[in-house]
This record gives sequence, C-alpha cells and structure tokens, in this order.
Amino acid sequence: MKRGLSAMIATAALFVSANAYPALNQDMNGLIEKFQKEADVKSFSAEDGRKFFATKRIHSKGEERSCSTCHTADPRQKGKTVVGKVIEPMAQSINKERFTDPKKVEKWLKRNCAWVLERECTPKEKGDFILYMTTI
Amino acid sequence: MKTNRIRKTMIAVVLGLALAAGTNAYADGDDSTHDHGNHASYNAVENHAYTQECSACHYLYLPGLLPARSWEALIKGSDKHFGENLALDEKTSAEILGFLKSNSAEKTNTEWSKKIMKSLGSSTPERIMDVPWIIKEHREVKNAFKRPSVGSASNCGACHTRGHEGDFDTVKVPK
Ligand code: HEC
Ligand code: HEC
Ligand code: HEC
Repeated sequence: MKRGLSAMIATAALFVSANAYPALNQDMNGLIEKFQKEADVKSFSAEDGRKFFATKRIHSKGEERSCSTCHTADPRQKGKTVVGKVIEPMAQSINKERFTDPKKVEKWLKRNCAWVLERECTPKEKGDFILYMTTI
Repeated sequence: MKTNRIRKTMIAVVLGLALAAGTNAYADGDDSTHDHGNHASYNAVENHAYTQECSACHYLYLPGLLPARSWEALIKGSDKHFGENLALDEKTSAEILGFLKSNSAEKTNTEWSKKIMKSLGSSTPERIMDVPWIIKEHREVKNAFKRPSVGSASNCGACHTRGHEGDFDTVKVPK
C-alpha cells in the first residue's frame, strides 16, 4: 500500500515535471507551451508579468489605461469594470476558477489587450502574465 | 394617483394570471412580487449564451428594455461594442439575437416596456439610457450615476435591486 502510494507520487512528480507549469491544469499547460514556442523562450517570468500588469499606457483616447484599471493594482483584490460591475479576483490563489479554461483565457486576453494596448499582446506578455497570476 | 396605480396593478395581475394560466408563469404566486408595482405580469426569461456572453462587463439587461431593432443593431455592431470587440462567433450571436428578439420590448407585457415603446417613436437607441422615457425617469438621480458605489448609469442593479425580476419600482440609491 505504502509502496504503491510512493510509486504513485513518483509518477505524479515525473508527470508534473513534464508539465512545465505545475500550477496550471493540463489544458492550460498546452496553452502556455504554445505561447512559449511562439515567443521562442525557455520559460516565462512572473516578475515581467507583474510589471506588464501594472504598466500604465496612454490610450489614443487620451486616458491612462492598464490591466490594473479594472483588476486593481493587487490581483488578489476584487476589481471593477468601467460599467461598475464587480470582477472577482484574478489571482488563482484566491479564485480557483481563474486560468483553468484556455478558451476563456484567450478570449479575455484578446479583448483586454485590445482595450489597454490597442493591439494584441505578444506571446511573451501573455505567458508572463499567466505565470504572475498563477503564482502570486 | 396611488389608487390608480393599485387598480392598474390589479388589472395587470388578473390579466397576467389569465395569460399565465396557459404558460405557467407565476403559477406559484410569489406574493412578494406583487407589492411594488406593475410588473406582476413580467415573465422572467433566461438564456445561457446571453448570460455567459453579456454579463461579465455589466448588468444583464432584460431583453424587454429595448425593441428588437435595437438588439439587432447592438449584435450587428458587436465587434465595436462601446469600444470593445465582443468577438462573438456566428452561432452564438445568432442564438443571443434570437433570444433578445423573441423577448424584446414589443413582446413584453409590462408597464415599463409599453412606456419604452411609446416614447421611442421610430428611433433605434443602442442604449437603454437613450430612451426618452428612461431619461425622464432618471432626471432627478442623474447626479448619483457617477458615485463610486454606482459606477455608471448603465449599472442598473446598483439602484434597482429587483430589476432582474422586472421590478423597477423598488429603488434604493446607494450613498
Ligand atoms: C476594461 C476592464 C478590464 C481591463 C482594463 C482588463 N480586464 Fe481582464 N477582465 C475583465 C473582465 C470583465 C473579465 C471577466 C471577469 C469574469 O470572468 O468574472 C476579465 C478577465 C480576464 C481574464 C480571464 C481570466 C480567467 O481565467 O477567468 C484574463 C486572462 C484577463 N482578464 C487578462 C487581462 C489583461 C492581460 C489585461 C491588461 C492587458 C486586462 N485583463 C485588463 C476586464 C478587464
Ligand atoms: C467586454 C465588455 C462587455 C461585454 C462582454 C458586453 N458589453 Fe455591453 N457594454 C460594455 C460597455 C463598456 C458599455 C458602455 C457602458 C457605459 O458607457 O457606461 C456597454 C453597454 C451596453 C448597453 C447599453 C447600456 C445602457 O446604458 O443603456 C447594452 C444594451 C449592452 N451593452 C448590451 C450588451 C450585450 C447584448 C452583450 C452581449 C452580446 C454585451 N453588452 C456584452 C461592455 C461590454
Ligand atoms: C443611481 C441609481 C439608478 C440607476 C443606476 C438606474 N436607475 Fe432606474 N431609476 C432610479 C430612480 C431613483 C428611479 C425613479 C423611481 C420612481 O420615481 O419611482 C428610476 C426609475 C426607473 C424606471 C421607471 C420605473 C417606473 O415604473 O416608473 C425604469 C424602467 C428604470 N429606472 C430602469 C433603469 C434601467 C434599465 C437602468 C440601467 C440601464 C437604470 N434604471 C439605472 C434609479 C436608478
């Protein structure tokens, strides 16, 4: 029994190390590995993700915009949309539902990058951001 | 005025019940919804795609707050939705539009939907807050829209705590 368990743990550990990002489920690992290939990097940086999240940019409409405009400066806090609706925290440590569905993640990245940056986010920006949100 | 309202409510309730007999709306007779006004005949409607795609950024507006032509314009322009690209696929946008059109203001039998239709004339507003009667009803609370506790005029639920049930008479403006 005990041996069986440790064998299982060993296999699980092997499996996890094969998954580059243990905090993420398998589907999300697929997504982030795709970003990794596209960005042509070996790994992502949570620190770069933190900076990316906080960086304010001047939008062509003249106002300052950043990811933290809606998600607040601390992703562990609740945020608010421009229409005043509450957004549940983004940090996976607080909100387990975050960063579990690649389709949802890609959809919101597309929307929010356009809103903040007026362009798509680069694969590196996306990967760094996800790493930051799933490790903070 | 008040009695007139009550009488209207009663008529609406009776009518609503008569109508509902076939469709089962309000069959369990939730009394609390009869307290506030002329919404007793409001038949709550729901659609998964609509909730999924249209409630993340704001209040989930009742389809009966705008005419079908407004919903058509909104969904047609959903790639430029008040500065947002909603990126709806064809199947989803067809489903949402179908739902909105079959429950639009023309198809909704409430006092407020009738007043909305009447005040519109031939215009096609893309905001509920551009409907003349709605503007008029909010003249006195305009200053409250920008309060941090409200956020924007489009955040109906901040004040209309029972708006999702079709009850816009129950109002509590936050400080
Ligand atoms: C204008 C407001 C706004 C801004 C600015 C914003 N977001 Fe969001 N974001 C939202 C809303 C609303 C949601 C959906 C919330 C929900 O599902 O509860 C969301 C969700 C997300 C999600 C989905 C997470 C998940 O798994 O549920 C990601 C990823 C995301 N945002 C990334 C970003 C990034 C990156 C930026 C900066 C480039 C950013 N957001 C800026 C409003 C915003
Ligand atoms: C990515 C965010 C986002 C999503 C998702 C979204 N909207 Fe909006 N919507 C907005 C913004 C921003 C406004 C403008 C609010 C303001 O100016 O205060 C708005 C306004 C509206 C208004 C006008 C509200 C008023 O003041 O009368 C309607 C109606 C509306 N949206 C319908 C929809 C429908 C239908 C969907 C789904 C197909 C949808 N929205 C999805 C961001 C969004
Ligand atoms: C700042 C708070 C606030 C917000 C936000 C708000 N309203 Fe109102 N609304 C009121 C007040 C106050 C009244 C007046 C109620 C009265 O005189 O009985 C009212 C009246 C109404 C009425 C008329 C009710 C009746 O039967 O006479 C409707 C319909 C309505 N609002 C719909 C909406 C919708 C839809 C939205 C969002 C697009 C909205 N309101 C946003 C506060 C608000």
